[in-house]
Amino acid sequence: MFSIETKFLTKSFGDVIAVNDISFSVNSGEIFGFLGPNGAGKSTTMMILTTLLKPTSGKALISEFDVTSNAKKVREHIGYVQQETTVDEYLTGRENLLLQAKLNHIPKNEIDKRIDEVLDLIELSEKQNDSVVTYSGGMRKRLDIAGGLLHRPKVLFLDEPTVGLDIQTRRKIWEYIKKIHKEFDMTIFLSTHYMEEADNLCDRIGIIDGGKIQVIDSPENMKNAMGNEVISIIMDDNTSHNSFLSKLKEIRFVKNITEDGSKLTLFVSNGTQVIPKIFQISSELEIKINTISLTRPTLDDVFLSYTGHEIRDDDSHFNRRREHAKMKRMRS
Amino acid sequence: MNSIIYDTYTIFWRELKRYKKSRSGVLIRLIQPAIWIIVVGNIFSGTQSLIQSVGFDGEYIEFMAPGVIILTAIFTSIFGGVNTLWDRRYGFMNKALTSPISRSSIALGKMSAISLIAALQASLIIGIALAIGVNFPNPFMIAPIMAIVILFSLGFSGISVIVAATAKSQETFWGMINFLGMPLFMLSPALFPLELLPNWLAVIAKLNPVTYTILLVRELMTGVSEGGIPILLSLGVLFAFVIIMIGLASYVFTREVNKPF
Repeated sequence: MFSIETKFLTKSFGDVIAVNDISFSVNSGEIFGFLGPNGAGKSTTMMILTTLLKPTSGKALISEFDVTSNAKKVREHIGYVQQETTVDEYLTGRENLLLQAKLNHIPKNEIDKRIDEVLDLIELSEKQNDSVVTYSGGMRKRLDIAGGLLHRPKVLFLDEPTVGLDIQTRRKIWEYIKKIHKEFDMTIFLSTHYMEEADNLCDRIGIIDGGKIQVIDSPENMKNAMGNEVISIIMDDNTSHNSFLSKLKEIRFVKNITEDGSKLTLFVSNGTQVIPKIFQISSELEIKINTISLTRPTLDDVFLSYTGHEIRDDDSHFNRRREHAKMKRMRS
Repeated sequence: MNSIIYDTYTIFWRELKRYKKSRSGVLIRLIQPAIWIIVVGNIFSGTQSLIQSVGFDGEYIEFMAPGVIILTAIFTSIFGGVNTLWDRRYGFMNKALTSPISRSSIALGKMSAISLIAALQASLIIGIALAIGVNFPNPFMIAPIMAIVILFSLGFSGISVIVAATAKSQETFWGMINFLGMPLFMLSPALFPLELLPNWLAVIAKLNPVTYTILLVRELMTGVSEGGIPILLSLGVLFAFVIIMIGLASYVFTREVNKPF
């Protein structure tokens, strides 16, 4: 049985298509991640799955309940932790959880036990009676996540769970997410634009860009499919290198090449033997290479190979238009 | 039904918790009605003969005290919905909307919390009125007066919740609220008896639920009825107003929060 299933899901705002014909399914108990830059359609998809937005067309099911026609049932099965921290600053940590428990209709005689349990899990028992105003960013996020799993939902949605947190806090949050997953055996659907996060947490990843899913697979398979190694070349000038590219493609161990300005990325299986050949070709064609490096593939490379640009590439024309449309919506 | 009451109480509880933590606002919000009753009440003390001509034999300040009590209720409750906008911007609303509670209960919880807060504020104004020497012949009337203030504020907070759910920005909200609040107060017998209003104004005032509420509170406080409007009619109008506002606010709120913010 699938925990989440979408079929040809599309959402448009005016003439901007935020989510474009997405179909995927998430198995029960899996940690599934949506990886993509800001404005790729991650949050919009998540808002559809959590019943906050209605899809323009297509279908989405949570535990086999339709998010549009059976929204109330869906809400009973999900926990949703938003990108922004949403805990009430005026309330104490415990009061925040109490509120969350009541919102989710946890039986009265269970509430105290459940709150103690999650407070223990996220290690906030000692601060529970302090106002949230006194909490650090990481503690607020932990409290937010705790609120999302208090009612033991079948599916927990985490929208960019570590955005804006420092590296140590981020790692700490990852540990909590893993702990939660192990303890409660729930399906977790998260969105992120951090490669490391997707790599570290997810059983499977869907790379989403421009409202479309480019590929879905486990991080390992994705990296393996890239070849064993990655060679990055930065050339001296920015002109076209078509002849250079086609020569490089003929080298035996080269699986795939992407071009991004003056940077070439080669996905290869036998790097140490490829590098001398690259130099041979470049000197024949009189192309000057500034730097060359040989690394193991990372998810960054996977992302690059599927989308043609790096994930930091936030300022694309498409994203600017999307952001613009979003601002307009908020203002109107 | 049971779950609507439970959910409404959940939101009510949360709103009151937040109110308790921001107590400093309580006194600030009292300043304006206090100025009304102290300054206006004394400035117009010379109009006693006008008031007496329609059968009221106390001082002017005693006549207008019920008006100021309702003024407090009007403004506390009509401003009260503003945190709906914060809730939508800072995610609490989405949190509530993705939980199994019904949308109406969010609106109703907010409204009941606002009306209780408005009643608290109004009771402080009653205290101020007593302190500056307003005569209160029958102290037992305080209970029905508070009940009326709570009912009235419940209805009035509906206006606030509707405006907050419809408005997408603080600016729109405050613009609308100021446009509605003051005229509703002025077009009522809060400061002068209905009989002294020109006919056309009296007609408008009689369409205003604030009018009936003030008449009720004035009658309970001073024992004088005016304008020839029987208590039962006033009560009927008040109840109808509250029921309509509850229905309308739940409907508009549910419709608006389902749209993307």
